[in-house]
Amino acid sequence: MRRWTVRAHLAGLLALAAAACARGERAPSDGRFAVGDDAGRRVSLAAPPRRIVSLLPSFTEILFAVGAGDRLVGRTAWCDYPPAALAVPSVGDGMPPNVEAVAARRPDLVVLYRSGPNVTAAAQLERLGIRTVLFDLNRLEDLGPVARRLGVLTGRRAAGDSLARAMDSLVSQSPESPTPGTKSLVFIVWDNPPIVIGAGSYLDQLAWLAGARNVFHDIGTPSAQVSIETIAARKPDFIAVLSDTAARPRYADRPEWRVVAAVRKGRFLFLPGRLFGRPGPRAGEAVRELRRRLETAP
Amino acid sequence: MKYVVLVGAALATLAAALLVGPANLPLADLFGSPIVWQLRLPRAVLAFLVGGALGVAGASLQALVRNPLADPFLLGLSGGAGLGAVAAIALHLPGPWALPLAAFIGAVGAMALVYRLGLMGGAELDPRILLLGGVAVGAFAAAVTTALVSLAEATELRNAFLWLWGGFSGASWTTVLVILAYAPLPLGVLVAAARPLDLLALGEEPAQYLGADVRRLKQGVYLAASLLTAAAVAVAGVIGFVGLVVPHVCRLVWGRLHRTLLPTAFLTGGILLAAADTLARTVAAPRELPVGIVTALLGVPVFAFLLRRWTVS
Repeated sequence: MRRWTVRAHLAGLLALAAAACARGERAPSDGRFAVGDDAGRRVSLAAPPRRIVSLLPSFTEILFAVGAGDRLVGRTAWCDYPPAALAVPSVGDGMPPNVEAVAARRPDLVVLYRSGPNVTAAAQLERLGIRTVLFDLNRLEDLGPVARRLGVLTGRRAAGDSLARAMDSLVSQSPESPTPGTKSLVFIVWDNPPIVIGAGSYLDQLAWLAGARNVFHDIGTPSAQVSIETIAARKPDFIAVLSDTAARPRYADRPEWRVVAAVRKGRFLFLPGRLFGRPGPRAGEAVRELRRRLETAP
Repeated sequence: MKYVVLVGAALATLAAALLVGPANLPLADLFGSPIVWQLRLPRAVLAFLVGGALGVAGASLQALVRNPLADPFLLGLSGGAGLGAVAAIALHLPGPWALPLAAFIGAVGAMALVYRLGLMGGAELDPRILLLGGVAVGAFAAAVTTALVSLAEATELRNAFLWLWGGFSGASWTTVLVILAYAPLPLGVLVAAARPLDLLALGEEPAQYLGADVRRLKQGVYLAASLLTAAAVAVAGVIGFVGLVVPHVCRLVWGRLHRTLLPTAFLTGGILLAAADTLARTVAAPRELPVGIVTALLGVPVFAFLLRRWTVS
């Protein structure tokens, strides 16, 4: 009885807080933990979830950042940050999710990235009576809304809002146009055929924020196949590679790649995948790290 | 006459491939630029050689199995190459040649398996057994490939498929030299078999009566065409359609005799692939299209037109 009173009181406070916060998600007056997800569904929980499975490394990072990490009971094999995440049991690589392995963790909330296979998996989990929420997370501006809504769902509204504000301010820092003398770079994802990062990717945004120009900013999609000739003609100052080691990529010694001046001069930026490979709460850290590397590079 | 036209068209295609590209070089810089010498020229030459090799391999295999649907990859080669490439990436094999070499080994492995099936029980490379064996080995290799992709923890595997779809991004003088050193032998075997291949079109028994050593002919043609295709896979991935349609186009235009068919299929295949690659590099710049798409977009209308003329007359 007493516990119920406390909970009702808390819920009332939360409702007040929600009303006060103009940008926050509107909580229904009955005090449930409810948000709209990016698959157009209304997800409302009677109480904050106590057993959460996260099926994207970014969601795992955000859940830890808002203080709900101790409620994680499942993660993907890729979720390696923060270190505490490694103590959470893995449910596989999550591409696509192994529904049985997820269900076996008896979660009361599963957080999924909105993709075709994941929408199907979410429907299967819902049929098993497990609540799911689907979020988009492709660009830096997606981080704020995801943090805010995960905060609401997990009952960590203040922490979620504060993280969301930090993420939003990062996006609003983005300069309108690059300053003259800006260093240029190309993100090379794969060498044969050459796949580069375009303006649709958050890596392009990271470069922009770090004061560098992605030479394929004119390509609107997240990534695209281009020819070596196009890379050479655009004369990037640096070749950015997502790599945890500083080993020169194997194509660096191939004659066709040495036509690209930055490859010939060995001007590679090796960006660790754990920090740069995903949009997450450490986006600001990634921007600072990239800026530092650009400044200290020869 | 036809050779003058074809060689002229080939030279024009290669010249166009040198002149145009996403880099927009001024004409004066054209011959001093590393972009032309290290990128455009080897790429155009490689596309031409691979197209030619696939054209000849396709024409010979269609004659060998006496089936118009035969193409150089039908006999399990693409499946084997795919398995090799994916295995190379999944096992993190080092070195720039790991992927092409593994694809080559995979293709040759699949070929050897189909060849062995074709000899079983005195079948003596019966076309029906070759075709069925090719499909079966290809399906098996594809299943193992898919298992590797779904079990291995390598995000790079997606890119193995990109490589397999074929293209000339990796072209350099080294790859051109590899093909130049390798292709003449199988090409020579196939050209030398031109006359017996004509006889084989009459059926195996009549060909035998007319003096062809059918057993050796089939073995030689099968091995030469497959090794040629495997080399093409190693330098350019699996490029479909050229080996299937180019031989038919050449038969429709210049007749069925292999003495003419093989050289014209070489030149036509080379022209088609070099032209398609030039378009793939330029039409969607700064992006690049997969060359297989352009080949089909260019080739299918030509093929449909010829087919219509042929069936009407």
